[in-house]
Amino acid sequence: MIALKALRKNLFKSLLIFLSITIAVMAIFLISSVSQGVIGMYSKMIKTDGDIIITQKGISDTFFSNVDISLIQKIQNIEHVNSSYAMIVGASPIGHIPIAGIYGTTPNHFSHYKLSSGEYPIESEVILGENLAKQFSTKEINIANRKFKISGTYKSEIGFEEGGVVMNIADAGALFNRSASFILVSSLSVDKIDEIVEKISKFNSDIEVKTTQNFVKEYNQFKIIENSSFVISFLAFAMGLMGIASVMSMIVNSRKEEFGIMRALGKSRFFIIKNLFFETALMSVSAYLFALILSLGILALLPHIEMLQGYVNGTLSISSALYVLASTLIMAFLGALIPAWIASKTDPILLINQGCA
Amino acid sequence: MIKASNISHFYGKEQVLYDLSFEIGSGQFVFLSGESGSGKSTLLSILSTLLQPSKGELFIDGEIISEIKNIDIFRQNRVGFIFQFHYLINYLTVYENIALAATEDKKQNINKILTELKIAELSSRYPNEISGGQRQRVAVARALVNEPKIIFADEPTGSLDSNNSLIVYELLKNAQKGGTTVVVASHDMNIENYATEVLRLRDGKIL
Ligand SMILES: Nc1ncnc2c1ncn2[C@@H]1O[C@H](COP(=O)(O)OP(=O)(O)OP(=O)(O)O)[C@@H](O)[C@H]1O
Ligand SMILES: [Mg+2]
Repeated sequence: MIALKALRKNLFKSLLIFLSITIAVMAIFLISSVSQGVIGMYSKMIKTDGDIIITQKGISDTFFSNVDISLIQKIQNIEHVNSSYAMIVGASPIGHIPIAGIYGTTPNHFSHYKLSSGEYPIESEVILGENLAKQFSTKEINIANRKFKISGTYKSEIGFEEGGVVMNIADAGALFNRSASFILVSSLSVDKIDEIVEKISKFNSDIEVKTTQNFVKEYNQFKIIENSSFVISFLAFAMGLMGIASVMSMIVNSRKEEFGIMRALGKSRFFIIKNLFFETALMSVSAYLFALILSLGILALLPHIEMLQGYVNGTLSISSALYVLASTLIMAFLGALIPAWIASKTDPILLINQGCA
Repeated sequence: MIKASNISHFYGKEQVLYDLSFEIGSGQFVFLSGESGSGKSTLLSILSTLLQPSKGELFIDGEIISEIKNIDIFRQNRVGFIFQFHYLINYLTVYENIALAATEDKKQNINKILTELKIAELSSRYPNEISGGQRQRVAVARALVNEPKIIFADEPTGSLDSNNSLIVYELLKNAQKGGTTVVVASHDMNIENYATEVLRLRDGKIL
């Protein structure tokens, strides 16, 4: 196979192309999957434990929202409601840690945080996420000038929750000066969700009631992350692809002499393009696979990097992997085959002379 | 056998060949001579189908070159080339370089030719692992392998010492004795001793 011989004999050059394709593809994968991962985790947190979310009207951010917690009593009485709980989500320095998440919740939601040691907190007590717990060996911690006793530690499926603390909502309310950030309601049956939304909306004109599905879809923070990650990954993607195309076309141009010789020996245009096609395919597919494996490896490591406190997570969907594969191949082929096609139409002797120029 | 009819050539606006018409008979050894820049390489490229002339027609064995449908097969079967620089492909061995040019039915000739040109022991080396003279012999072998009716050579000894040059001339002369038409462009007036016909170029015109 002549394509393999060309690759092997020009090993260093081939390696450089291989690496540049690998890096381009990895950049695309990591940027897009990390931003997807952050959004995915947060929406999972909201979606897993409720069908309906109640926030303050006109406040699009859960951090700033303030909802009257006494609504819970009325909600419990609505038909088809399974359960409801309230949460305060905040962030504050904790001990020597500059910033960490604080989750205040009603006791019926504690079970979301799986105890790995100790007990769930009572008043003036907190449990620490496992990542955060590694930073403290004391029995008490300071949060915003108040002392809390550490009653236990917890694990969570949602990576970044393990970097925070969980306490009773009354304690969190005192810290952040509000009743509740939002209330989550779960329904006994999926068909009844819209009905429940309508009923809750009538209780109070200060609240906004949405299905969690819709909420996540419309949430501003997500839109910002999504849009900026889209722009960044698009740029990385475009740059990566341009890199691939330009490297390939440089390679082809540097081999004009060789193509001229082949044409002079009576090799057809098709012969030249076919071999270049195999070279390109071999190189870009193997670089793609290499990049895919590296990216998956890095993504698997991310949740375990302590510095990131579990905030950065990434998932790679099959569809985006295939999409990247397709565009990588298209760009490699465009980059390689267009100049090759143009070259193959030039008189052989001119190619040979251009080659040595 | 080869007929040039009113051939002119321009590189951009610069005209380098002026309305050339001549014929080269079958089995001749033609020496194309002339000063540097007189148009030897350009004319040789046109005669060997590697360059399309700006004006005029080229006939080989009665066929109009500009109208040949499959020029690749025509090149592979009918003509052989030797360039001033060997122009071997660097990632193929000596053997593979010759095999690349060979048509299927001529592949069996490769070893015989390698032996004749005394490069059989080099057959598995790469071009950068042999001497300049040896490379040029490989290039000659490559040109001979399909037993073409015509061989074109542009300064085939340009990068060789006189010993190696002699070897190449003898090889070309042998091919001509076997019935092949040979056209050589060169500065080296020694070729005149081998030639049956001399074409002198000056400033793109035949004297
Ligand atoms: N690719 C090109 N583009 C522009 N001008 C060219 C090109 N090739 C050759 N020329 C010009 O055409 C003229 C004839 O060149 P050519 O190479 O045919 O001469 P030559 O007789 O082979 O010279 P030499 O003995 O030095 O090889 C020269 O004036 C040269 O500068
Ligand atoms: Mg010349």
